[in-house]
Amino acid sequence: MSAPTTKPPGLWTAVRELPSNVWSSVFRNPLPSSDLERAQTSFTNFFLHLHPVKVHRNTLRPVYTLGLGLISLFLFLILVVTGILLMFYYVPSTTQAYDRMLDLRGTVAFGIFLRNMHRWSAHGMVAMVFLHMCRVFLTGAYKKPREFNWVLGVVLLLVTLFLSFTGYLLPWDQLAFWAITVGTSIAGYAPLVGSQIKFLLLGDTTVGQEALLRFYVLHVAVLPAVLSLLVAIHFWRIRKDGGLSRPEDGPAKAGPTVVKMRIEPKTRTFGLQGFVRGPFTKLGNVPDDSVYSWPNLLMAELFVFVLTVSIILVVSLLFNAPLEQPVNVMHPPNPAKAPWYFLGLQEMVSYSAFWGGIGVPTVFVLLLFLTPYIDRDPKGVGRWFARERLLANTLFLTLVALNVIFIIVGTFFRGPNWTFVSPF
Amino acid sequence: MPSAARSHDPGATEAQVPRRRLLAWLSSVGLFGSAVLAVVSDLVFFKPRVTYSPSARFSIGKPDDFPPGTRIARDLERVCIVRDGNKMAAISTTCTHLGCIVSISDTGFACPCHGSHYDQDGNVTGGPAPKALPWFKVNLAPNGELEVDKNSLVDPGTYFNV
Repeated sequence: MSAPTTKPPGLWTAVRELPSNVWSSVFRNPLPSSDLERAQTSFTNFFLHLHPVKVHRNTLRPVYTLGLGLISLFLFLILVVTGILLMFYYVPSTTQAYDRMLDLRGTVAFGIFLRNMHRWSAHGMVAMVFLHMCRVFLTGAYKKPREFNWVLGVVLLLVTLFLSFTGYLLPWDQLAFWAITVGTSIAGYAPLVGSQIKFLLLGDTTVGQEALLRFYVLHVAVLPAVLSLLVAIHFWRIRKDGGLSRPEDGPAKAGPTVVKMRIEPKTRTFGLQGFVRGPFTKLGNVPDDSVYSWPNLLMAELFVFVLTVSIILVVSLLFNAPLEQPVNVMHPPNPAKAPWYFLGLQEMVSYSAFWGGIGVPTVFVLLLFLTPYIDRDPKGVGRWFARERLLANTLFLTLVALNVIFIIVGTFFRGPNWTFVSPF
Repeated sequence: MPSAARSHDPGATEAQVPRRRLLAWLSSVGLFGSAVLAVVSDLVFFKPRVTYSPSARFSIGKPDDFPPGTRIARDLERVCIVRDGNKMAAISTTCTHLGCIVSISDTGFACPCHGSHYDQDGNVTGGPAPKALPWFKVNLAPNGELEVDKNSLVDPGTYFNV
């Protein structure tokens, strides 16, 4: 069939319009100026379509989330970037690793700064992921339908700890060697499979070249990939579970009265939006407490991002990551201490290796996993310290406080031979 | 399309359904079995057949190098060589708690990591260590040098007479 064809634009026109044609082929929408365009922008941009078109106002309240999950994500991104850069100068060899640390200090441009960023972000990520978990617990956000996302979050906490632990060995200094010697021995106490796990982890009977190589591969390839996948599922579930937790919507506020909400029959399809379960599939102009992601959510994210990066930059300028003496397999430092977040564990281990290192932590992690399946009371979701959740919150805070006390004792009150010393 | 073919095939009997179910069941078992095999072979792969650490059997020198009353810690091999009169023994200096190296103290051994204490024979006298320090077999090699074998344990108190 011969359709009436318009004359194609000439070469000159094509050249003249090249920049705008390239631009509009990449970004299909102009900067949005109407609600429709805001929604379209969210849908057609790869990065933006991770976001819902609209978010509930409660999601954007800084005092509700404290931005802890986002901060954790941004710290992970900083860790990926600085980690890849550090890989260009690092060799996972017992004879070279420590020298490479000194090179970072001495010869590599920005080397010490990158290492500082990586180290402080790692500490920060452990802290932020933990605080994020506390936030989710204390606001009751793990309850139905978000049980599985809570479980994913607990797994993410464990992977974060393991990532930090594997990274701890890589500088191959005294701190690294003895912390890993102690840490893997704790794994050896696990019943039945303990010694096998330890042998698989170290690739040998003691911490040495094989262990360094294994920890390196786990740290730079395996665990980041696992973490990225789990984070993706974690985020995806947020949307599939209906957005962030929030208090139940009260009676409709004063405003345009809606006579009736129109729910379209199933025979009609409304594209992607029509399939998405949750609160945003309403048709009809129901007033709700949601706002468009562009620009509200994006601005909030940008703010948290800039804040996170700024703090890490300033801290990395002010404080250097510690580097102790090179490994001396014959002389453990006295006392030999694990990284601070494992010091509570180490303190417990000093009473009993099995109960402190395996028994109590296993029970604690199992309790965390089972929390949303034990606590089925739907009340008290979406508010900090809800009165209905007094018992659950008290139990949780007690366990957290115990851990913090053990960490403080292990950090400040333990001297040579792990005897009790006063820091004052 | 097998299902479409069956519906148009007057010769199809009900007997075909159990057969299909059996095939589905067998393939499921096959798939699951392959997954299990894959995991097992991964574990086999990760378990090194050869390790690169120093040999567990090593020479420590002639008996005359250790005058009676000697207690010398060899931190590289993680043993303490004890000579009491003409009796010699090798006691492990790897803490049974979490693998730190214990050092020789006035009363026996002390661990710097979590504060375990042992007596002269390696018995636990304090701290979180769950069991005594093991003793290793000591032998005289044909070349006249003493040999310690960390792969063979002996009962604590078992000495080698030189």
